[in-house]
Order: sequence, then C-alpha cells, then structure tokens
Amino acid sequence: MPLYTLEAGQVVEGIKNREFSAEEYISQLLGRIEKVEPKVNAFVTLNKEEGLNRARMLDKKIRDGEQSGPLAGVALSIKDNICTKGMKTTCASKMLESYIPAYDATVIKRLMSAGAIIIGKANLDEFAMGSTTEFSRHGPTRNPWDISRVSGGSSGGSAASVAALECTASLGSDTGGSVRCPASFCSVVGLKPTYGLVSRFGLVSYANSLEQIGPVGRTVSDVVSILNVIAGSDENDHTTINSNKPTYSLQERKGFRAGLVMEFTEGADPGVSKMIYNAADTLEKQGCKCEEVSLPSVQYALASYYTIATAEASSNLARYDNIRYGFDMNPEGYEWNSYFAKARSNFGEEAKRRIIVGSYVLSSGYYGKYYLKAHQVRSLLKHEMETLFKRYDVLIGPTMPILPFKIGERIDDPLKMYLVDIDTVVANLTGMPAISVPAGFADGLPVGLQIMADQFAEQTMLDIAYLFEQAAKVQRSPEL
Amino acid sequence: MVVTREEVKHLGWLAKLEMSDAELQRYTAQIEEIISYLNMLNTIPLEQVKPIAMKKKFSELRKDAPENFEDAVLGTRYRKDGFVKGPRMV
Amino acid sequence: MATTTKIGLEIHCQLTGAKSKLFCRCSSDYRGKAPNANICPICAGLPGTLPLLNQKTVEFAAMITLALGCKFPDDIAFYRKNYFYPDLPKNFQLTQYNAYSITSIGVDGKLEYGNGKDARIRRVQLEEDPGRLVYASGSMDTSVYVLIDYNRAGMPLVEIVTEPDFADPKDVRMFLDKITSIIEHLGVCDTKLEGSVRCDANVSIDGGNKVEIKNISSFADVEKALRYEITRQRTMASREIQVRSETRHWDDARKVTKESRTKEEEQDYRYFPEPDIPMVLLGSEFVSFIRQSMPELPDTRKERFMSKYGLSAHIAQVLIGNKELADFFESTLMIYLSPKEIANWIVTDLMSFVDERQKKEEDKQHLLFAGLKVGPEHIADLARLVDQETINRATAKQILGQIVRTGEMPSALAKKMHASRIDDASVLAQAVQSVFQMEQAAVHDARRNANVANFLLGKVMKITKGTADPKIALEMIQKKLKED
Repeated sequence: MPLYTLEAGQVVEGIKNREFSAEEYISQLLGRIEKVEPKVNAFVTLNKEEGLNRARMLDKKIRDGEQSGPLAGVALSIKDNICTKGMKTTCASKMLESYIPAYDATVIKRLMSAGAIIIGKANLDEFAMGSTTEFSRHGPTRNPWDISRVSGGSSGGSAASVAALECTASLGSDTGGSVRCPASFCSVVGLKPTYGLVSRFGLVSYANSLEQIGPVGRTVSDVVSILNVIAGSDENDHTTINSNKPTYSLQERKGFRAGLVMEFTEGADPGVSKMIYNAADTLEKQGCKCEEVSLPSVQYALASYYTIATAEASSNLARYDNIRYGFDMNPEGYEWNSYFAKARSNFGEEAKRRIIVGSYVLSSGYYGKYYLKAHQVRSLLKHEMETLFKRYDVLIGPTMPILPFKIGERIDDPLKMYLVDIDTVVANLTGMPAISVPAGFADGLPVGLQIMADQFAEQTMLDIAYLFEQAAKVQRSPEL
Repeated sequence: MVVTREEVKHLGWLAKLEMSDAELQRYTAQIEEIISYLNMLNTIPLEQVKPIAMKKKFSELRKDAPENFEDAVLGTRYRKDGFVKGPRMV
Repeated sequence: MATTTKIGLEIHCQLTGAKSKLFCRCSSDYRGKAPNANICPICAGLPGTLPLLNQKTVEFAAMITLALGCKFPDDIAFYRKNYFYPDLPKNFQLTQYNAYSITSIGVDGKLEYGNGKDARIRRVQLEEDPGRLVYASGSMDTSVYVLIDYNRAGMPLVEIVTEPDFADPKDVRMFLDKITSIIEHLGVCDTKLEGSVRCDANVSIDGGNKVEIKNISSFADVEKALRYEITRQRTMASREIQVRSETRHWDDARKVTKESRTKEEEQDYRYFPEPDIPMVLLGSEFVSFIRQSMPELPDTRKERFMSKYGLSAHIAQVLIGNKELADFFESTLMIYLSPKEIANWIVTDLMSFVDERQKKEEDKQHLLFAGLKVGPEHIADLARLVDQETINRATAKQILGQIVRTGEMPSALAKKMHASRIDDASVLAQAVQSVFQMEQAAVHDARRNANVANFLLGKVMKITKGTADPKIALEMIQKKLKED
C-alpha cells in the first residue's frame, strides 16, 4: 500500500519507528500530487522544497533520538486564507495575489511545533465566500469522485486534497458550512469547533462572529489529532474561551440520544434524505435512540446568516485598498477615490456582491431592520437548540440538502447558491460545534451526515461520529 | 422594487467599487432578489428576543506592555524615505 | 443686536500615559521615529489580525469618566465606523457608539470650570487614532501623491463630547484649561506633546444651523477660531443670509475658518459592533478599583492647598491651573516648608520671568519653566533667606532676577552681595559726607523736620548715580543727623 494512503496516526508511528522516513512520505505525496492535481486543482501554492526540508530535519531529529511531536511528519494542506509566514496567502483573490504574511496564524504555530509539515496552500472561494470553490481566481477545485462536479466550498481545496490522497489532512475555515460542505461533497470528515475553541488569529476574516478554523481528515481519528493541537485559548484572540486546553479522545460509548432534525431531512433531495434515514438506522443498531425533532426557526437561519455574513464581510474587505499590500498598481497621479475604486474593482463577482449587500443592510436606518433582527434570530435559534440539547446528546441530519452538482450549474444564480447552506449555517449562528461524516453514496455521489452538539460538547459529538464511522464503513478514497 | 440602480450605485461609491453599466445592471437585479429574501427578517415577531453578546472581564484584557515587531510589515514597493506612497488627495 | 451663541466641543486626547497602542503591542511613543518604524501587523491592518484591547486605556478612560462626573454603563463595546481614507489602515475606525444602546465608557457628566459655570458632558469614549498624511510638495492641492506614515495609527484616544453649553469663547478657553489640568493630573496625557490634544467645535447663533469647525491644531487657537466663526455668522445674520449647516476647517496660517470642499455624496458610516472585541463588563468592583487608583484631581488639590497650607483661593487656583506649577510648589515644600512665602514667590515673582509666548501656550511643547535655570531648591533657599531675615525682600527679588539666568544658589549669591556691600559702605559714607557739606541748610532743617531727610537721600542717590541701597543710605543719613 502506498504511504500516501496512511492515516495520521500511522504516519506518526511509522516515522517515529523508522519504518519509513518523513522524506519518503513527503516525496510520495508530492508524486501523488503531481499525478492527480491536474484533475483536481486543490492547491494554490505547493511548498515542495520547504516541505522536504522539514521532513529531512524531522528524520535527523528522530535519528538523533530526539522527541518528535504528536503530528510529526503529518502533511497538511492549509486553506489559503490562513496566514503562513513567508508563504503566499492569496485568499484566491487578485487583491492578495502576491501577499506574503509577516506572521504565522496561531494554528500554524501550534501545528508546526507539533511536527506537522505544510505541503501546500489549498484552494477556496475568494475570501471564503462561496459553497463550491468556483469563485476562485485559480479556477474551480474539482470533486475527486466526479471531476465534472463541484468539490463544495469554500474549503474545496482542503476537502478535495484530503479525498484525493494529496495530503494527510487539512485545515479549512467554516463560516457558514465551509468545512462541512466540501467534506460532505468529497466524502471526508470535516469539523467546525465551538466558536471560541480555536484561535482565529491569522485567519483572514470573512465574517468574524460566525467563523472558526476546523480540521478536515479522512477519519474521525485524524480530525481529533489535529483538533487536539489547535484547540485552546489564545492571547492573540479575545474571542477564544479562557479555559484549560481540552484534549479529546475516541471512546467506545453507546446509548446516545439523537434528534433527527425534520426541517433538514424534509428539505433535502430524496436521495440525500434516504441516506440520512439509513444513517439513523445504523446508529439505532448501535444502541442509539433516534427521534425526529423540530427546529422551527431554521426557516429564518439563512436570512440571518446572509445578513450578518455580508455585513461583517463588507467591512472586513474594506482594508484591501492596495496601498499597504496587494498587486502592483502605482498610486501616483490617481485621485484617491478613483484609485481605491479602480483597485477594488479587482475583487471577484461574489465578493463584490456580498460587499454591496453588506453595505446595504448596514446603511443608515437599516440597522434595526436587518442586522439587529439577524442577531435576534441567532438568539432564538440558540434557545431552541439548547432546549433540544436538554433531551438529546446530538442533533443529526444531512450536511448538505443536495448532492454535488455540476460545475457552473448554479454560478449565475446567487440566491439559489446561498440556499444550499441551509443545514450548515445553524451551527455558525449558534456557535455550536458540528461535524460532517461520510454517510455513503446516492447515485454514486457522496452524502454527509451532520452531527451537531451543544457548545463545547465536542467530545460527545466525536464519540457519536466515531461510532457511526466504525459501523457505516463507507468507502474511503475515489479512483483517480 | 426594493433596491434601485441609484441605490446600488451609491453603495458602490460608499464601498469604493468601480462598476461598469453592465455590472450595475446585473448587480441591481441580483441584489434586489437577495434583499427581498432578507426582508423575511421583518416578518418575525422578535421584540422579546435579546441578542446574544460575548462578554469579557476587565482583568482579561491585554496588559499594557510594549513590544517591537521586528519583521517588515508593509508589502508595497511604492515607498519614499520610509513613507508609503498613496494616491493624491484631491 | 442681542444674539445667543451656542458652542459645543469635541476634544480628543491621546492617552500617552499608556505604554502601548490601543489594540496592539506597538509602543505609544511614536514621536520622532522613522516613518513606519513603529507598526505591527495589527495596527497596519494586515489580513488576519485581531484587535487586542489594552487594559490600561480602559482604566485611563474610566478615570477621565469619573473626573468629568460621567456615569458608567454596565458594559462597554466597540463599534466599527466604516469610511475610506488613506490614513486609515483598515478603512474603518474602531470607536464607541451610543445610538443603539449606551456602550461608550462615560455618559451624562458635568464639569464646573470656573466662576461657578459648568458644562454638561455628553459622552466620553475610547477610539483609535489614524495614521498621518504628509504632502510631498507641502500642499494637498499640488502633490501627485501623498506620503503615509502609520506610526500614529492605533494610538489610544479619548474623545470628550460636550453639550452646546458655552456662549462665550473665553469660557471655552477656561474649560479647556481645566480639561488640560485634569488629564495632566490623572497622568493619562502629556498635553505638551505636539498633537496630543486636539479640539473640534460646533457653533450656532440664534437657534440657527450648526457649523462644525475642524482642524484646530491647538487649544490656544480654539478661542480665535470661535471668535472668527461667531463674527462670520453674525455678519451673515445681519445681512439676512442663512447660515448653512456645514463643516469648516480652521486655516491656521490665515486665522480664518474655510468652507470644506462639498462632498459629492453623503457619507454613511454603517456602524456595527466590532465582533472581535467582546463587550467588557465594568461593574461596581471595577468602579471602586478606579476610584482607588485615581490620582488627586486639581479641585481636590486646590482644597488641600487652601486648608493645609493656608493659601488663598486665588493663589491655589493659579497653582493647580497648571500641574507643573502645583508640582513645583509641592517639590519646594519638601525642601523647606514655608507654604505661603513659597507660593508667593512662584506665582508672583517666578511667573514674571516666564516668557510671554510660553504663557500664551503658543509654545506649549516646553515646560513653563524650561527657559529658567531655577528649580525648587533655589526657591526653597530663597524663601529661607527671607524668612530668616538674612536678606530683605528687595534683595531677594534682585537675587531671583539673577539666578533665573545663572542657576546660582541664592545663599551663595547673597553672601557675595553682602561682601560687596561692605566695600560699598565706605563709598556711601563719603557720599553722605559731601552731601552734608554741600547742603548745610537742608541738614539744619532736617534736624527739626524728619521729612527733609528724604531730600538729602535724593542728593545721595544722585551723587552715587543710583547705585546706593536707599535703605542703607537713609539709615546712614539719620544716624549722622543725630551725631552732629
């Protein structure tokens, strides 16, 4: 079996026990990337030389009998909106086409000191705004299971690179489902932590109050290994929760109570909801109790989400005026308003659309009509969820209401595109954790099971995800 | 009509986004559709609902200790005597 | 014609007493540094950075809040004020905002500033300073590009907004002096640093439209700008021209307010709460912590000067009106405790040597006594000499006049003067002798009428060309009148 198919735990053990070297592992992955990347297009930037160098250094450390970290040799693709010092971070945008950060994101620092190796920067929708990775300056990332279809988004490069065996695991960011959507479409595991569990310092902001960085892996176990390294408060992010660093483990636990969210199954394609009912059966066979539950305020979730996300985005993207960093455009001679407007016209379509919508909802006199209402909906939803979590350990449903669709199919209809986020935005609006686990295939296309839990109840959520994964035995990676 | 072309143009001015006539046309139609959808928020009885707010204690704020940032911060090559060059102000 | 004038103020003071910026760890001591040498990813607005609120700035803003008699909300929040400008790294300013609920650190205060007058304080808020623009050819109009220095970006500012409670520019001046003294006493702002305190004003007359005046670079010019603007509006009213609601800029060189270029479209700041900064809980524990850590305020200090040292209200007021004076006074008392004598020397005599320009604040970068070579030890020494009657007050004044330039200790100088006076005594005796010979008739009269001695003194002074000490000369004349 080629090394690039290994799970994170096997990679770490194999390198530590000198069954193979980190250099061999990284070289094999780079070979794999060379082979499949023309079909998938998951990477924006590759970190070949630096990656190999780090591998060699790790091998030397191990030969010298030094301690290696918990992720020693694990090769990660990093969504290209997470800052990596000295390595381009483009956000798939013309506005940052040559931007090289002067600092590492907190998660990058933590992963590096755990021994992980960054193999490259993964493709995304421009500034993480999209659900397909089609809004990238570098072209769409294709779904490894069917390259005529979208990979999901916005962390499409992360999920596709994991599914296509181009890396061990990946980091994505999830603002309205951006880790879980592509995880579902590419049949991998994707987790959005509780808001405040993982530092956002170094994550290029799209919608600050909603997003979290989250791991993507081929197994629940891989996702846990990464979460254990990145979770925990950070003095550089005031919104992280001040508590002891949590450690998650995978335990065989049974007897869970799960609420199957009616609104999610009813709104899904028949092929998708069939798979979700199958998933519920699988869990029942494992001794879980599954009951249908209702989350009535879900009907307002998307309106709330798109109000908050666009409002925050319109302000976050204001800093890209091309004065301090950006692409090459001499400011001399331009009148400042026209320079800003000209430089900023280089945002892509979707980013511009969200900037305008966000500016609209924040306009004078509209705050109470949109932004405040949207926040009240968050409160309402949270209250409904909390009530349900008194009776259920987790809530389950489809991650995506539809199957991966053809590239280009929805790109000209923004609202239709927004509507596919209906099942994922709830976790972002309420700050609660959620995970997408492969549930099987409908018409040969992946379906993801979404498991949501109460705030900071990641352990319970992971236990059920693991239980399901072990029972469902879904095929892992596609032929490419 | 919920959103007019003039409004979108004004928002473009506020957000400093240059738009061609064709873009303006297209965005107006799309934004009209999006805002109409968001208007759903005004149909919900929410008077009693308080928004959630994240809170921190004074003691948890950053301590006032200065630190120099050593690495180069600015990426532009349009510089003069340490200053950053910007467009003219009139 | 009787008119009513309403003036409101927006005062910005940099919290130079904090060591780091408002939201990042960069030093607050940015002055004099090479352009863009005092920045980091946070204050330069690099992608992915998050604001980290400086605890000290909240403490300082809270002190100002208490000093201005304002109330605290239960918790404070920050808002984004969205507008584009090349000096603004994020193209929004982090500030506070009270339109949706009270979230700025202080509201509804009142400050008495003198002569029994007071002004209501609408709010006190914390916000960040933008960067600095420099025009390559010296003027905004002729430069083909602008030079930007972000060293100042992110400096903590406290904005103090008053209600339009002033009618007279002179009162505004008194109010600003009081604010200056308060923030100096709190140790939150060094008002002598260039640009550390700035003021915008709004003016309306007879209930007419409000005109904002911006760009007033020093407190000293506020009074001038207001007088100009009031005259302008009154002239318009007398010609029955309506005053437009507008923003005008103070032209520092020509000392006039100028119309700003009319904006092509209306600005809309699209305020919303900053999601990266949680609300900060204040609560009673915080308030009592601030009360305990508050340095003495000028009003309390004045009371203390009067009750403990027996100073008059006037003298005490002059001292606390400028923290430097009050500190000088107390430092002097540490060396020699003679409060009234010392206060008089500082307020009446020492002040007369301070450069007129400096008193007028036009050269505010320097300390009041910076040009003088005297310190508290000199004044203490001088007061001791007078108290012990080693020298008289006139001599002491003479001594002060010299030591402010030389820095010599008064006792050393007094000793020298005493020695030279002994030499002078024989010269004086000769002069008296010759006057007695020349003016025998007057000497005769003087023995019966004491007042005539003054005539003789005049003659002595004339002969010595005024160099004689009149007191000693008179003593000598009287003695000689008795002898002969």
